[in-house]
Amino acid sequence: MEKTLQVLTELEHDGLLLRFAIGGAMGATFYVEPVLTFDLDVFVILPQTAGGLLTLAPIYDALRARGYTEEGECVNIEGVPVQFLPAHNALLEEALAEARETSYGATATRVLRAEHLAAIAVQTGRDKDRERVRLLLGHAPLDGEYLRAVLARHNLEARWKQWTS
Amino acid sequence: MEAVDKLRPEIARLIAAKQERRHKLAALPFPEKVRIVVQLQRMVAPILRARGRPARVWRLTGDSAAVPPVPRGGSGGTTIS
Repeated sequence: MEKTLQVLTELEHDGLLLRFAIGGAMGATFYVEPVLTFDLDVFVILPQTAGGLLTLAPIYDALRARGYTEEGECVNIEGVPVQFLPAHNALLEEALAEARETSYGATATRVLRAEHLAAIAVQTGRDKDRERVRLLLGHAPLDGEYLRAVLARHNLEARWKQWTS
Repeated sequence: MEAVDKLRPEIARLIAAKQERRHKLAALPFPEKVRIVVQLQRMVAPILRARGRPARVWRLTGDSAAVPPVPRGGSGGTTIS
Protein backbone atom coordinates (compact mmCIF):
# COMPACT_ATOMS: atom_id res chain seq x y z
CA MET A 1 0.00 0.00 0.00
CA GLU A 2 2.75 2.45 0.87
CA LYS A 3 4.61 1.75 -2.37
CA THR A 4 1.32 2.20 -4.22
CA LEU A 5 0.91 5.63 -2.67
CA GLN A 6 4.52 6.48 -3.53
CA VAL A 7 3.84 5.65 -7.19
CA LEU A 8 0.74 7.87 -7.14
CA THR A 9 2.81 10.71 -5.68
CA GLU A 10 5.37 10.22 -8.45
CA LEU A 11 2.61 10.47 -11.06
CA GLU A 12 1.59 13.77 -9.47
CA HIS A 13 5.17 15.04 -9.44
CA ASP A 14 5.53 14.06 -13.09
CA GLY A 15 2.44 16.11 -13.97
CA LEU A 16 0.43 13.13 -15.19
CA LEU A 17 -2.21 14.06 -12.64
CA LEU A 18 -2.58 17.40 -10.91
CA ARG A 19 -3.82 16.10 -7.58
CA PHE A 20 -5.04 12.85 -6.08
CA ALA A 21 -6.79 11.72 -2.92
CA ILE A 22 -8.05 8.42 -1.56
CA GLY A 23 -11.83 8.03 -1.56
CA GLY A 24 -14.37 5.23 -1.73
CA ALA A 25 -14.39 2.44 0.82
CA MET A 26 -10.75 2.95 1.77
CA GLY A 27 -11.35 6.66 2.24
CA ALA A 28 -14.23 5.82 4.56
CA THR A 29 -12.03 3.29 6.37
CA PHE A 30 -9.69 6.16 7.25
CA TYR A 31 -12.48 7.52 9.49
CA VAL A 32 -14.58 4.52 10.52
CA GLU A 33 -14.19 0.80 11.19
CA PRO A 34 -12.46 -1.14 8.37
CA VAL A 35 -14.75 -1.70 5.39
CA LEU A 36 -14.17 -4.61 3.01
CA THR A 37 -13.05 -3.57 -0.44
CA PHE A 38 -10.90 -5.07 -3.17
CA ASP A 39 -9.80 -1.89 -4.89
CA LEU A 40 -8.39 1.46 -3.94
CA ASP A 41 -10.49 4.30 -5.31
CA VAL A 42 -8.27 7.25 -6.13
CA PHE A 43 -9.90 10.49 -7.21
CA VAL A 44 -7.75 12.55 -9.54
CA ILE A 45 -7.70 15.95 -11.16
CA LEU A 46 -6.34 15.47 -14.64
CA PRO A 47 -4.38 17.96 -16.72
CA GLN A 48 -6.16 19.05 -19.88
CA THR A 49 -4.76 17.70 -23.12
CA ALA A 50 -4.06 19.91 -26.14
CA GLY A 51 -7.51 19.09 -27.51
CA GLY A 52 -9.17 19.96 -24.21
CA LEU A 53 -10.01 16.35 -23.42
CA LEU A 54 -9.65 14.85 -19.97
CA THR A 55 -8.20 11.37 -20.36
CA LEU A 56 -6.63 8.74 -18.15
CA ALA A 57 -4.59 7.41 -21.08
CA PRO A 58 -1.30 9.16 -20.16
CA ILE A 59 -1.52 7.74 -16.61
CA TYR A 60 -2.21 4.25 -17.93
CA ASP A 61 0.65 4.58 -20.44
CA ALA A 62 3.09 5.70 -17.73
CA LEU A 63 2.06 2.88 -15.42
CA ARG A 64 2.33 0.32 -18.23
CA ALA A 65 5.85 1.60 -18.95
CA ARG A 66 6.72 0.92 -15.30
CA GLY A 67 5.49 -2.66 -15.64
CA TYR A 68 2.11 -2.32 -13.93
CA THR A 69 -0.79 -4.14 -15.53
CA GLU A 70 -4.44 -3.32 -16.01
CA GLU A 71 -7.00 -5.54 -14.33
CA GLY A 72 -10.48 -4.66 -15.47
CA GLU A 73 -11.22 -1.12 -14.34
CA CYS A 74 -8.08 -1.00 -12.19
CA VAL A 75 -4.32 -0.92 -12.54
CA ASN A 76 -2.41 -3.19 -10.22
CA ILE A 77 0.18 -0.94 -8.61
CA GLU A 78 2.50 -2.73 -6.21
CA GLY A 79 -0.08 -5.38 -5.33
CA VAL A 80 -3.04 -3.03 -4.92
CA PRO A 81 -5.67 -2.65 -7.66
CA VAL A 82 -6.13 1.09 -8.08
CA GLN A 83 -9.18 2.56 -9.76
CA PHE A 84 -8.61 6.10 -11.02
CA LEU A 85 -11.73 8.25 -10.87
CA PRO A 86 -11.45 11.62 -12.60
CA ALA A 87 -13.11 14.55 -10.84
CA HIS A 88 -15.98 15.02 -13.26
CA ASN A 89 -18.18 17.41 -11.34
CA ALA A 90 -18.02 20.35 -8.95
CA LEU A 91 -18.45 18.23 -5.81
CA LEU A 92 -15.51 15.98 -6.68
CA GLU A 93 -13.33 18.95 -7.64
CA GLU A 94 -14.12 20.60 -4.30
CA ALA A 95 -13.50 17.33 -2.44
CA LEU A 96 -10.07 17.00 -4.01
CA ALA A 97 -9.17 20.64 -3.39
CA GLU A 98 -10.05 20.27 0.29
CA ALA A 99 -8.75 16.74 0.84
CA ARG A 100 -7.03 16.05 4.11
CA GLU A 101 -3.24 15.78 4.08
CA THR A 102 -2.05 12.74 6.00
CA SER A 103 0.66 10.13 5.92
CA TYR A 104 0.81 6.39 5.51
CA GLY A 105 3.97 5.19 7.20
CA ALA A 106 6.66 7.49 5.84
CA THR A 107 4.66 8.50 2.77
CA ALA A 108 2.62 11.68 2.55
CA THR A 109 -0.80 11.24 0.97
CA ARG A 110 -4.33 12.66 0.94
CA VAL A 111 -7.73 11.34 1.94
CA LEU A 112 -11.04 13.01 1.10
CA ARG A 113 -12.69 14.72 4.05
CA ALA A 114 -15.36 12.61 5.76
CA GLU A 115 -17.98 15.26 4.92
CA HIS A 116 -17.14 15.00 1.23
CA LEU A 117 -17.19 11.19 1.36
CA ALA A 118 -20.70 11.42 2.80
CA ALA A 119 -21.80 13.97 0.18
CA ILE A 120 -20.32 11.89 -2.66
CA ALA A 121 -22.14 8.82 -1.33
CA VAL A 122 -25.41 10.76 -1.32
CA GLN A 123 -24.75 11.99 -4.85
CA THR A 124 -23.88 8.49 -6.11
CA GLY A 125 -26.96 7.09 -4.46
CA ARG A 126 -26.49 3.31 -4.46
CA ASP A 127 -27.47 1.01 -1.59
CA LYS A 128 -23.85 0.65 -0.52
CA ASP A 129 -23.51 4.43 -0.52
CA ARG A 130 -26.45 4.64 1.86
CA GLU A 131 -24.68 2.18 4.15
CA ARG A 132 -21.53 4.30 3.91
CA VAL A 133 -23.46 7.39 4.98
CA ARG A 134 -24.81 5.45 7.95
CA LEU A 135 -21.29 4.38 8.94
CA LEU A 136 -19.85 7.88 8.56
CA LEU A 137 -22.70 9.40 10.54
CA GLY A 138 -22.21 6.88 13.31
CA HIS A 139 -18.46 6.93 13.68
CA ALA A 140 -16.70 9.63 11.66
CA PRO A 141 -15.87 12.98 13.20
CA LEU A 142 -18.19 14.96 10.92
CA ASP A 143 -18.27 18.74 11.09
CA GLY A 144 -22.02 19.33 10.88
CA GLU A 145 -21.82 22.93 9.71
CA TYR A 146 -19.27 22.10 7.03
CA LEU A 147 -21.33 19.12 5.86
CA ARG A 148 -24.53 21.19 5.66
CA ALA A 149 -22.74 23.75 3.51
CA VAL A 150 -21.39 21.04 1.16
CA LEU A 151 -24.82 19.45 0.81
CA ALA A 152 -26.43 22.85 0.13
CA ARG A 153 -23.79 23.88 -2.45
CA HIS A 154 -24.32 20.70 -4.43
CA ASN A 155 -28.11 20.39 -4.05
CA LEU A 156 -27.97 17.21 -2.01
CA GLU A 157 -30.01 18.26 1.00
CA ALA A 158 -33.23 16.54 -0.04
CA ARG A 159 -31.69 13.10 -0.43
CA TRP A 160 -29.63 13.59 2.70
CA LYS A 161 -32.83 14.26 4.66
CA GLN A 162 -34.50 11.27 3.02
CA TRP A 163 -31.59 8.99 3.93
CA THR A 164 -31.00 10.20 7.45
CA SER A 165 -34.47 10.95 8.80
CA MET B 1 -43.09 -11.19 28.45
CA GLU B 2 -41.20 -11.42 31.73
CA ALA B 3 -38.40 -13.37 30.00
CA VAL B 4 -38.07 -10.63 27.38
CA ASP B 5 -37.85 -7.98 30.10
CA LYS B 6 -35.06 -9.95 31.75
CA LEU B 7 -33.21 -10.10 28.46
CA ARG B 8 -33.41 -6.37 27.79
CA PRO B 9 -30.50 -5.28 30.02
CA GLU B 10 -28.33 -8.03 28.55
CA ILE B 11 -29.21 -7.04 24.98
CA ALA B 12 -28.55 -3.40 25.80
CA ARG B 13 -25.16 -4.37 27.20
CA LEU B 14 -24.33 -6.36 24.04
CA ILE B 15 -25.35 -3.48 21.76
CA ALA B 16 -23.26 -1.06 23.82
CA ALA B 17 -20.28 -3.42 23.60
CA LYS B 18 -20.67 -3.60 19.80
CA GLN B 19 -20.73 0.18 19.61
CA GLU B 20 -17.63 0.42 21.75
CA ARG B 21 -15.84 -2.12 19.54
CA ARG B 22 -16.76 -0.08 16.45
CA HIS B 23 -15.41 3.09 18.06
CA LYS B 24 -12.18 1.30 18.96
CA LEU B 25 -11.81 0.01 15.39
CA ALA B 26 -12.52 3.48 14.00
CA ALA B 27 -9.77 4.92 16.20
CA LEU B 28 -7.06 2.54 14.95
CA PRO B 29 -4.18 3.98 12.88
CA PHE B 30 -4.87 3.88 9.14
CA PRO B 31 -2.17 1.25 8.32
CA GLU B 32 -3.64 -1.03 10.98
CA LYS B 33 -7.08 -0.64 9.41
CA VAL B 34 -5.61 -1.47 6.00
CA ARG B 35 -4.13 -4.63 7.52
CA ILE B 36 -7.60 -5.58 8.81
CA VAL B 37 -9.11 -4.92 5.36
CA VAL B 38 -6.56 -7.31 3.88
CA GLN B 39 -7.49 -9.92 6.48
CA LEU B 40 -11.14 -9.47 5.47
CA GLN B 41 -10.13 -9.87 1.82
CA ARG B 42 -8.39 -13.16 2.66
CA MET B 43 -11.54 -14.41 4.35
CA VAL B 44 -13.94 -13.38 1.60
CA ALA B 45 -11.84 -14.00 -1.54
CA PRO B 46 -12.32 -17.80 -1.62
CA ILE B 47 -16.10 -17.37 -1.38
CA LEU B 48 -16.15 -14.83 -4.19
CA ARG B 49 -13.88 -16.97 -6.35
CA ALA B 50 -16.15 -19.98 -5.78
CA ARG B 51 -18.96 -17.84 -7.18
CA GLY B 52 -16.85 -17.04 -10.23
CA ARG B 53 -16.04 -13.48 -9.20
CA PRO B 54 -12.40 -12.37 -9.33
CA ALA B 55 -10.93 -11.26 -6.01
CA ARG B 56 -7.33 -10.24 -5.57
CA VAL B 57 -5.98 -9.96 -2.04
CA TRP B 58 -3.70 -6.94 -1.64
CA ARG B 59 0.01 -7.34 -1.10
CA LEU B 60 1.33 -5.12 1.67
CA THR B 61 5.00 -6.01 1.68
CA GLY B 62 7.29 -2.99 1.76
CA ASP B 63 5.09 -0.88 4.00
CA SER B 64 7.08 1.06 6.56
CA ALA B 65 3.96 1.39 8.69
CA ALA B 66 4.53 -1.73 10.80
CA VAL B 67 2.21 -3.89 8.73
CA PRO B 68 3.18 -7.56 8.98
CA PRO B 69 3.82 -9.29 5.67
CA VAL B 70 1.08 -11.40 4.12
CA PRO B 71 1.77 -15.06 5.01
CA ARG B 72 2.21 -17.45 2.13
CA GLY B 73 -0.32 -20.25 1.81
CA GLY B 74 -3.36 -21.04 3.90
CA SER B 75 -5.04 -17.82 2.92
CA GLY B 76 -7.49 -19.13 0.39
CA GLY B 77 -5.54 -18.25 -2.70
CA THR B 78 -3.90 -15.02 -1.60
CA THR B 79 -2.18 -13.45 -4.56
CA ILE B 80 1.44 -12.62 -3.84
CA SER B 81 3.40 -11.49 -6.80
